[in-house]
Amino acid sequence: MAKKATGGLAAIFHDEKQILQAATRCREMGLSKFDAVTPYPVHGMEEAIGIKRSAIPYVTFVGALIGCSVGLFITVWCSAVSWPINIGGKPMISLPAFIPIMFELTILFAALSSVAAFAWLCRLPKMDPVVIDPDLTSHKFAIFVPEHDTGYDSGKLEQVFKDLGAAEVKRMAEY
Amino acid sequence: MASHQHTDLHVSKFKAPQSLKTAAFALLAIGLITFVVGLMRNQERIWASYLTSFFFFSCLALGGLFFAAINNLTKAGWSVTIRRYSEAMTSFIPVILIGGLVLVAGMKHLYPWADPDVVASNPVVAAKTAYLNVGFFVLRLVLFTAGWFIFKWFIVGNSVKQDTDGFESHTLKNVGLSIGFVAFFALTFSLFSVDLLMSLLPTWYSTIFGIYCFAGLFQSTLAVLALIIIFMRRTGFVRGYVTVEHLHDTVKYLKGFTVFWAYIAFSQFMLIWYANIPEETEYYIMRSLHGWLGVSFALLIFRFIVPFIALLPRGAKRNENHVIAVSVLVLVMQYVDIWWMVYPNFFGGEMTFGFWEIGMFALFAGLFLICLMSFFTKFSLVAVKDPRIQEAINHHVTY
Repeated sequence: MAKKATGGLAAIFHDEKQILQAATRCREMGLSKFDAVTPYPVHGMEEAIGIKRSAIPYVTFVGALIGCSVGLFITVWCSAVSWPINIGGKPMISLPAFIPIMFELTILFAALSSVAAFAWLCRLPKMDPVVIDPDLTSHKFAIFVPEHDTGYDSGKLEQVFKDLGAAEVKRMAEY
Repeated sequence: MASHQHTDLHVSKFKAPQSLKTAAFALLAIGLITFVVGLMRNQERIWASYLTSFFFFSCLALGGLFFAAINNLTKAGWSVTIRRYSEAMTSFIPVILIGGLVLVAGMKHLYPWADPDVVASNPVVAAKTAYLNVGFFVLRLVLFTAGWFIFKWFIVGNSVKQDTDGFESHTLKNVGLSIGFVAFFALTFSLFSVDLLMSLLPTWYSTIFGIYCFAGLFQSTLAVLALIIIFMRRTGFVRGYVTVEHLHDTVKYLKGFTVFWAYIAFSQFMLIWYANIPEETEYYIMRSLHGWLGVSFALLIFRFIVPFIALLPRGAKRNENHVIAVSVLVLVMQYVDIWWMVYPNFFGGEMTFGFWEIGMFALFAGLFLICLMSFFTKFSLVAVKDPRIQEAINHHVTY
């Protein structure tokens, strides 16, 4: 059976500023796979960890283009190829009448592909993460460094986190 | 990083660059000469161009007040440091009051329903005289512009009073006033655009016309707001208070209302096209003849497709030169849009543009710039004592 979680080092802080400094320090030390767990979005955390922009907007854009094309195809095919009906003497392919359908399908495909991409990137519906500390959802902040990260050295990291004011440093076992 | 940047907060007294002052007064002089010469030589043309430019700048002034009002009533924090820029635009509102009264002098050249012969010969127009008559038109114009002026007086007045005394009560009072203004504005601006633009063709009507004009109003207002933000950042009168984050969110708004304009414009067009009733299609038929078809498509392409795609990437919204180019395009297209609504009704439906139009635009552009500069000279460039100022200083757009 594949292991459910990687082991590593978790540092718990009580202050937003400390965790931002710790994240910056981790990035400066060359670590790249670590993550922060905070009860609310902390401004500046993306830059501190070095998170790149999400791929979701690009997925949305492609989804939108596909939806728009599908809308055009369905309307043209239905009203001009499969079952042509003369409506009010207008041409079979009357673009203004098709635009609402193209618009709606653009939105539908863009929205659904965004949700799907979001779920994929967050590895949902995996619902049993290791609980580092139950208080991380209310008033504590944590940085988790997995043991397979580049230049991982638990002793050195523990000292760095302690120096930055970590309230607690936990070694998380692999299981 | 929001938590430890913006240590350098600085706002200095505004002093208009001499070149800008010269330009504004030169524009005003060109405009006044054009107006006087036009009144003597080409009355119909001068009033049509007067109406187009008057409406263009009225929209910007009202849009400025609308932007300030929606941010007041939603208790928005991010926009506090740029609110003063939109309030500056409202200093043009007294010009609407006077410009509207001047417009009354040109009514008989513009509005067919103001001509008793047209009313007598056209039963459709005759049936609308209960609303479309000179007395009621002037009454509405005065009531609307006076109402806007009163709201501007109190909303902007409270905001600048706070700069000296710092009382939070001004912010609270502005919430109620802003709610009142938005309700008043929704009704009056719809009727204002119906009166000034839609009634140029009194046999035609569109129930969405007011919203169409509003969409153009807000889109062009946001373009001007983005330009003012960039101007203030580059000239260095304000440092730290207004960051690229504020520009980013303003341009997001601009992109959103670019889509909104297209949505409303298409809603108006599609229902008329689909129902195909002669009394409604008249409007679009006039705008498909004599070369106007090209302008109609130019609106679709340069007012929606190009700005929308140009503003889609995140980097584009944070690049000042790019935002300047798109904002100028949006403003040009706002003028083209009003010109496209006004001009097919005159000159036998032929496309007409030339020196008179540029001159009248210069008149109002000069007045608008003078109003902006005198407001900025008189008041602080940032509402420094607003209770939500910290939220605006630390504003940060995540990705």
